[in-house]
Amino acid sequence: MPADLLPLSIKRDGVAFRVEWSDGLVATVPFQKLRDHCPCAGCNDERAKPADPFRVLSAREVAAGLPVPVAMKPVGHYAYQITWNDGHDAGIFTLDALRHLGQPVAPSKDTHAPA
Amino acid sequence: MPPPSGPGQKFSLPGVKHLIAVASGKGGVGKSTVAANLAVALQMAGQRVGLMDADIYGPSVPLMFGLGQVDQTRTPFPLEKFGIKLMSMGFLVDPNQAVIWRGPKVAQAVGSFLAQVPWGELDFLIIDLPPGTGDAQLTLSQQAPLTGAIIVTTPGEVSLIDARKGVKMFEEVRVPVLGVIENMSHFTSADGQKHAIFGTGGGAKLAAEAGVPFLGELPIDPRVATAGDAGEPVVRKYPDSPVSAAYVALAQTVLREMVTRPQANALPAVEF
Repeated sequence: MPADLLPLSIKRDGVAFRVEWSDGLVATVPFQKLRDHCPCAGCNDERAKPADPFRVLSAREVAAGLPVPVAMKPVGHYAYQITWNDGHDAGIFTLDALRHLGQPVAPSKDTHAPA
Repeated sequence: MPPPSGPGQKFSLPGVKHLIAVASGKGGVGKSTVAANLAVALQMAGQRVGLMDADIYGPSVPLMFGLGQVDQTRTPFPLEKFGIKLMSMGFLVDPNQAVIWRGPKVAQAVGSFLAQVPWGELDFLIIDLPPGTGDAQLTLSQQAPLTGAIIVTTPGEVSLIDARKGVKMFEEVRVPVLGVIENMSHFTSADGQKHAIFGTGGGAKLAAEAGVPFLGELPIDPRVATAGDAGEPVVRKYPDSPVSAAYVALAQTVLREMVTRPQANALPAVEF
């Protein structure tokens, strides 16, 4: 990813973030997808194991329900750290990861000058 | 213009205009010497300069500035010598005592050097990094508003292999690399002949490979080591020597870079 490619704004939009990139791309990143791709060592480890069909959710996970970030702070010049509603906050999502997890949306009309 | 310090930066240094890390991949290439002399050269160019020694295990700043361990309870930090504000682990522990710490403690110490030392108003805070791509580097690039990094290498391939990793690390964390400086480039003997003791062209090659500016060559001069060991960096002690001229040129390049280079933008805060 080129060094001058940056997010211009990140806003919550329902159960996803809406990210506007400096190259004009607007993408949504669903919370569930972010949570599933948490890059922390613990989650990487979990993903490396074969899926357990009888996995029991912890009380905390049940109480939290669907994953929703409660905070998302920039880390240096290259990443964001997300704190989830279940208390997990170890994942540092690089801009690269945010870009790749996003699904492009058509740019909204009001942000672009009429043709 | 002050460096960007977004809401997520753990340490914002509002009084510091430019925060520059001096790094290398391999040890022993003269990072600390370059950092100290660059700091002095910038100070001699009329800048307000601080030098932070982030090498917790092997601090060199105290020796190079003729200082040692001080009484922490009575001495206000940062210390000041030759008009430069200084902070180093070497001020806190006996030079004969080893600092045997695990990574998280190193990260903590580096963090407190930045955040808890009252640096005040500075044009430049130069950070002398330890070699490699470990805890100190990661802490700084994640939590400090770094303006840029200078990579030090020697001409030889062994040094280049690791210097490449240094460049790669800064790319990963999106800290701009201001350029590559080649230390110990050549030795000029009494008959005026140049001897390339550690090989030639390594620094320029790395800079070209990484697509960053080549900041120049620093010649070998035994006086660099003797001046450093005697507690007065060579730029100050022998200002007329060719190596000092090279450091002054480096300082001028850094000053010019700061004017022309667009500031890296802070990441936007997330709106919920």
